[in-house]
Amino acid sequence: MVTLKISGIDCYYGSVKALENVTFSVGEGEFVGILGPNGSGKTTLLKAINTTLKPKVGSVFLDNINIYDMESREVAKKVAVVPQETTVTFDFTALDVVLMGRNPYISRFGIESKEDLAVAKKAMELTNTWKLAERPVNELSGGEKQLVVIARALTQEPKVLLLDEPTVHLDIGNQLEIMELLKELCIKNSLIVLAVFHDFNLAARYCDSAILLRNGKIFSIGKVDKVLTEENINKVFNVNVIVKKHPITDALYILPISTSHEVTSTKNLRLHVICGGGVGTPIIKKLHRDGYYITAGVLNLLDTDYETCAMLKIPTVSEAPFSPITNDAHKKNLDMIDEADVVILSNACFGYGNFKNIESAIHAIEKGKTVIALEETPIQQRDFTKGEATALYEELKRKGALITKNCQEAIFMLRKLEHEFSKA
Amino acid sequence: MNAFDAEGMYFKRFSRWKIIFILLAMALILTITFAVAMGPMQIPPLDVYKIIIKHIPFLGDFVGGGSSSTEEVIVLQVRLPRVLAAAIVGIALAVAGVVLQGLLRNPMADPYVIGISSGAGLGASLAIAFGFGLSFFGVLYSIPLMAFAFALGTVLLVYVISRTGQGVPMLTLLLVGIAVNSFLLAIISIIRLVSGEAVHAIMAWIFGSLAASNWNYVKMALPFVVIGVAIIYVFARDLNIMLLGEEQARHLGVDAERLKKIMIASATLITAAAVSISGIIGFIGLIIPHISRILVGPDHRILIPSSALGGAIVLILCDTIGRMIVRPAELPVGIITSLLGVPFFIYLIRKKKRSVIWQG
Repeated sequence: MVTLKISGIDCYYGSVKALENVTFSVGEGEFVGILGPNGSGKTTLLKAINTTLKPKVGSVFLDNINIYDMESREVAKKVAVVPQETTVTFDFTALDVVLMGRNPYISRFGIESKEDLAVAKKAMELTNTWKLAERPVNELSGGEKQLVVIARALTQEPKVLLLDEPTVHLDIGNQLEIMELLKELCIKNSLIVLAVFHDFNLAARYCDSAILLRNGKIFSIGKVDKVLTEENINKVFNVNVIVKKHPITDALYILPISTSHEVTSTKNLRLHVICGGGVGTPIIKKLHRDGYYITAGVLNLLDTDYETCAMLKIPTVSEAPFSPITNDAHKKNLDMIDEADVVILSNACFGYGNFKNIESAIHAIEKGKTVIALEETPIQQRDFTKGEATALYEELKRKGALITKNCQEAIFMLRKLEHEFSKA
Repeated sequence: MNAFDAEGMYFKRFSRWKIIFILLAMALILTITFAVAMGPMQIPPLDVYKIIIKHIPFLGDFVGGGSSSTEEVIVLQVRLPRVLAAAIVGIALAVAGVVLQGLLRNPMADPYVIGISSGAGLGASLAIAFGFGLSFFGVLYSIPLMAFAFALGTVLLVYVISRTGQGVPMLTLLLVGIAVNSFLLAIISIIRLVSGEAVHAIMAWIFGSLAASNWNYVKMALPFVVIGVAIIYVFARDLNIMLLGEEQARHLGVDAERLKKIMIASATLITAAAVSISGIIGFIGLIIPHISRILVGPDHRILIPSSALGGAIVLILCDTIGRMIVRPAELPVGIITSLLGVPFFIYLIRKKKRSVIWQG
């Protein structure tokens, strides 16, 4: 069992410290993602491992041998590097470039042997690039070229494969192809794979474990789901994200929401949106972008509208998933409505479960709030209470609620109200 | 393209390389023969061989006489040393060009661009003007040695001026090289004027001329060029890998720093040897590597030998043309290389942009 051990390394560029006391070890067959903001030391860590940048303190051990004591050719037999991008001056073929990976095995006066070619062929077959062997490497697409470079790295027959954002210049199809390949190689060839990523989702889906760097130090290390948490990402990157388990891939997926800077309300009107079932999402997003201070309720957890509000950090009154609105939640909703200037009743369907929401609209208009009802479909079609909701809706109209057929019109109404409100 | 026979194709290339090398070597011998035969007095090619073989120990006994002593003098004392000097200079410049283009990953590079030639010129001029004497076996080696020392000094100077905290930016290196070149050429002209040389001789030297060649010139340059080219050839595979960039070369086990030093020193050595005997001949070091790359591909293991032979052939032909077209006067070979080289180079760039222009 080969292990790569990074033992307390400090790295400097001139007098600038780039890595501080980084210690961890990786075993074969393990695929480790290195993540962190720009300048956090990700690439420096790779450089320290591939002997490009000698640590001032500490060292790197492969199989308990200090790699800084090894000849550069010996290192090249153990550690292979795949950079972001490779430019080859002059027209070498893909096979030429892959065979360059055999350099550490060929003596100074030797030429490539049949065995060298066999190793290269195998690597190219693994990466599905053998068909490109005779093509000039500069004529290949970005994805093909990167596969060729990975084949070259495999031709070194390494124990450790280091990759610096290997998919950053590639389209989504190529990204997945390369990640699948790396994962497979990692297991089949018992490689130790360390790769720098900027894409959380790629890392989360394919890596076994992750290292999160901040300011040259390890902020968090371990299994992917322990490292890539909402809290860690927020602390290191200063962004709000939602971390969920994807139902199909069963991998974590990370959705960035916003930078941590709160969106400040630029408008004076305070709005409350009554919604549910996803019908409120379009208007909530538009209003949020326009800079209104928005609240919403009552919403069931797991409801699309609820998730929209959570993402946008909109205060909501919530109810347990798939449950009717309790008196408690209803009460809180009314309190929130009392705080608002305008209440928007979205084009929601009403059943017995959320019947209280339409009651709260009545409450609002009775309290003298402006109520805008968004009526994209007639209420009769949205009424699942045998006419009770329709009756209340008609009452709402009689009491002076503004009715509009579309979202855009509602926004114009609000702008007008905002204008009047500001003047007053 | 049939990829399934890529293995077979790959190994065929080694035999193809041998054939290319043999063909070029034969072409060089024919070129030498032709060049020696050509002149105000035409000498039949067969006689050229006879005269040469006659003067090789042991072999000479098998060849009967038949040539006049005048012909012998012309062949052995006038034309042959000059043609061989042209060959040596052509080999040196073309190989130095290959090395610098590969090392700097820049198709604009040639032996002149980073100040090697003008430094060598300055050293050689000083040695000639002040007559430093340092000879072994009756050959004055002070000229090539001074040329080498000054060329190396100039390269170091250019390198140091260009260096920033982050390394040596290619563009700065090229610009500083051009500036230092012009400066040194001015100093060379002053030295040669002061030492009483005629202006046209200085001009001939700056354009590059082989008119003064004799056997001593051949002996003076040959050992340096042989040693330098041999060292460079040993590192041919490393030069291939350097084309991926220094960092990747290091990852593949190439000691990039050491390689750069050895290659620049060797290129400087052979260029200095060439400049010592011929002055500054333009364009060979730039175009021969490009033509060879188009013909035999970018692998330095075949590129270096074919550029060497190609450089020799082309320079001999250019010198012969220079001797022939304005008789009884002659044009310095450097003027011919520029006259023929520039249009041909432009034609190549336009015809096959992909290969000639640097894949940035």
